[in-house]
Amino acid sequence: MATVPKVEVGTDYKEKYGFFVPEDFIFKAKRGLNPEIVKEISWMKKEPEWMTKMRLRSLEIFRKKPMPTWGADLSVIDFENIFYYLQATDKQSKTWEDLPPDIKATYDRLGVPEAERKFLAGVSAQYESEVVYHSLQENLTKQGVIFTDTDSALRDHPELFKEYFGTVIPPADNKFSALNTAVWSGGSFIYVPKGVRVEIPLQAYFRINAENMGQFERTLIICDEGSFVHYIEGCTAPIYSTDSLHSAVVEIIVKKNARCRYTTIQNWSTNVYNLVTKRAMAYADATMEWVDGNLGSQITMKYPSVYLMEPGAKGDVLSVAFAGKGQHQDAGGKMIHVAPNTTSTITSKSISKAGGRTSYRGHIKIYPGANNCKSFVKCDALLLDDESRSDTYPYNDVDAENVTLGHEATVSKVSDEQLFYLMSRGITRNEAETMIVNGFIEPFTKELPLEYAVELNRLIQLEMEGSVG
Amino acid sequence: MVSTQTPLEDMLFRGEPDWLRDRRQSAFETYTRLPMPSKTDEEWRRSDVSKFDPSAYFEFEHVMAHMTYAVNMPDGVIIESLPVAAKEHRDLVEPYLFSLLRPDRDRFTALHAALFTGGNFVYVPDGTVIEEPIRAENYSRQGGTAVLPHTLIVAGRNTRFNYLDEYVAEDDAEGGYRTGSTEIFLGEGAQVGYVAVQKWGRNVWHFADQRAELQKDSSLKLFNVTLGGKFSKTRVEASLAGEGSNAELKAIYFASGEQFFDFHTLQDHSVGNTRSDLLFKGALQDVARTVYAGLIRIEKHAARSDAYQANRNLVLSDKAKATSIPMLEIDNNDVRCTHGATVGPVDPEHMFYLRSRGIPAATARRMLIQGFFGDVLERIPFDHARKLVEAELESRIG
Repeated sequence: MATVPKVEVGTDYKEKYGFFVPEDFIFKAKRGLNPEIVKEISWMKKEPEWMTKMRLRSLEIFRKKPMPTWGADLSVIDFENIFYYLQATDKQSKTWEDLPPDIKATYDRLGVPEAERKFLAGVSAQYESEVVYHSLQENLTKQGVIFTDTDSALRDHPELFKEYFGTVIPPADNKFSALNTAVWSGGSFIYVPKGVRVEIPLQAYFRINAENMGQFERTLIICDEGSFVHYIEGCTAPIYSTDSLHSAVVEIIVKKNARCRYTTIQNWSTNVYNLVTKRAMAYADATMEWVDGNLGSQITMKYPSVYLMEPGAKGDVLSVAFAGKGQHQDAGGKMIHVAPNTTSTITSKSISKAGGRTSYRGHIKIYPGANNCKSFVKCDALLLDDESRSDTYPYNDVDAENVTLGHEATVSKVSDEQLFYLMSRGITRNEAETMIVNGFIEPFTKELPLEYAVELNRLIQLEMEGSVG
Repeated sequence: MVSTQTPLEDMLFRGEPDWLRDRRQSAFETYTRLPMPSKTDEEWRRSDVSKFDPSAYFEFEHVMAHMTYAVNMPDGVIIESLPVAAKEHRDLVEPYLFSLLRPDRDRFTALHAALFTGGNFVYVPDGTVIEEPIRAENYSRQGGTAVLPHTLIVAGRNTRFNYLDEYVAEDDAEGGYRTGSTEIFLGEGAQVGYVAVQKWGRNVWHFADQRAELQKDSSLKLFNVTLGGKFSKTRVEASLAGEGSNAELKAIYFASGEQFFDFHTLQDHSVGNTRSDLLFKGALQDVARTVYAGLIRIEKHAARSDAYQANRNLVLSDKAKATSIPMLEIDNNDVRCTHGATVGPVDPEHMFYLRSRGIPAATARRMLIQGFFGDVLERIPFDHARKLVEAELESRIG
């Protein structure tokens, strides 16, 4: 107990993430957004006609829909000053050795091959807008599991793709899902056949590496009956001076008796606007779990949701948000109970520091006839100083019989007693606060694979160092 | 609705001093200028006012409230109808009236400020204690009319008293336009208990704003009971403006048939060392709908504030619908803030327990509903109001 291990994360982090490699593009669309650019993207990708039409229709919807007037301030986004499509290399690489050296350098620093060697089933890392590296262990392929980038899936599995694409989140769902559908590129496509359990997590790293480049990945996961998959999406981005837009759409279908877990640690640089729509449909006795950590970005608006479509479905959201200087994390979750005998929980932990603002925004909706549902929401917020701000906006709508719904929230500061106790043991104030914060988010950390848990703790440590003292 | 000012003056302003006529006129102009709240307006999006046409209730009832209070009031206490007080105590009324409930807030506040009918003014000078509660019964004697009482309470320093506003209707069948708004000013160290019991007819539109401003070390116990109206929108707001002030905001509601109740609450901590405690409890049956949306706001410099907010809904039928939105906006870290919301049915285990003791289902259900309201009824600040509310609930739970 006497010695406190010293972890030097500050320099390590900079080395690990805060760099960028020279841009080297095969194709870079012009800035701005119009039907020609959308057609060009579709043409470059050699897409079928239905997709081109869908993109164009979505662009029209995007144009018509007003900007959201709630949540964070989005008025500074200039849609005409964004690159909507970039392609770094012209072909997919099958093995690590095939990758261009500078891209390889990026991933070496991110530790992708190491991770793969350790326990990852497949790696599909997104460099700019295209997935350039992709591998899947042989036994998974044998089991019929598809894990590929979304563009390849459209080409190689057209029927499966068309059956599900845009069914969970239609283009007209909101302004940013329309934008994504118009200009999407990259993302992951996963299909797990009936009864197949993917025991090791599938993982992809996403990166933005070009100034003013929007990243619009599109992920589609289908868990067939009785299957299981855990997908991990980790985001890091180098730091740039102008604002970047990241607007992803993630659609998940969890069929009867299946279970899907989707883990995110979002750590975009603090000039990124992160406006993401994530939604899952859970059918009879299926389980959908969102584990969602938001540390980076300037503004995040993200509310992973589960539509509980058939009896016995279960939805879970576990969310952590950390907002430092100039950041606004507007995050939360939505649980839509369509069928009776469905259950859901949302647990949110948020930390605000140095003038940062965290907002929990959630919606529990119990439709008529969805009787005997249970839902519980718990939000805890920690405010580390008197400049920071925390909000809670939970919307609860109950329209059915015999429903039990509960919501609880607390807002507090780091308690003086805890600080005093730790400091009386010779721990510095900063270290003590870091320990308390890490303890506060422990329910979240313990749900992460070890590697991510370690990374999250180090990121928190880094964020804490930035401000105190 | 009212197209020229002549009939307005005839009906309402007659005998009122010029300053009040000017205020009404200006509020009416505000009303005509402001748009209807739109579906995107957070405060109104869940309450459908599209079918509300005030001009349908153009006839105003001018029945003054029936007042009951101890005969030997301490010196300096003023209890007077608002129009009379506006004439005789202008210096006391003018600075306060509609300063907490500003007519430009929205169309409905403006309309109330322009057309309010009667209501009461209570002024309690510094250091005065009144043991017996002051009771006002605001009556509506017929249907199809507008009854728009306004209560203005000014509590001097270190005063202590209780006030009850009852809103009573003799007609239960016809429509109508009703308001029942209250402004309460608490001076330093004042302790005020305020209870409002709304039992208008089941077919009227009701809009109420109850807002209090608390100075240093003052304490407010506000209790709201909502039973009547087909549409009832009530805003309960406490502005904690002085250090050491303490606001307790409690409410119960019982919605049945096709009733729609909407509550918006605000606990606004603008200075530090302030405390607020809110509990809204409601039961719903048949096809009734209720909305609760409340906000605790702790402003930047309001350190060492302590705020609590809870909304509990007991849903007694599968067609009833409850919406609960308890919100927090916290701008200071040295605070304690907790809130909670629940929506649920009668606990089947509790039901089973009572039934296993041989209690008939209907009786057991009634006991459980009474139990649900029990803890909050204890918080009604004075006996008279407590008995009244208990009897009222009893008859409705049936």
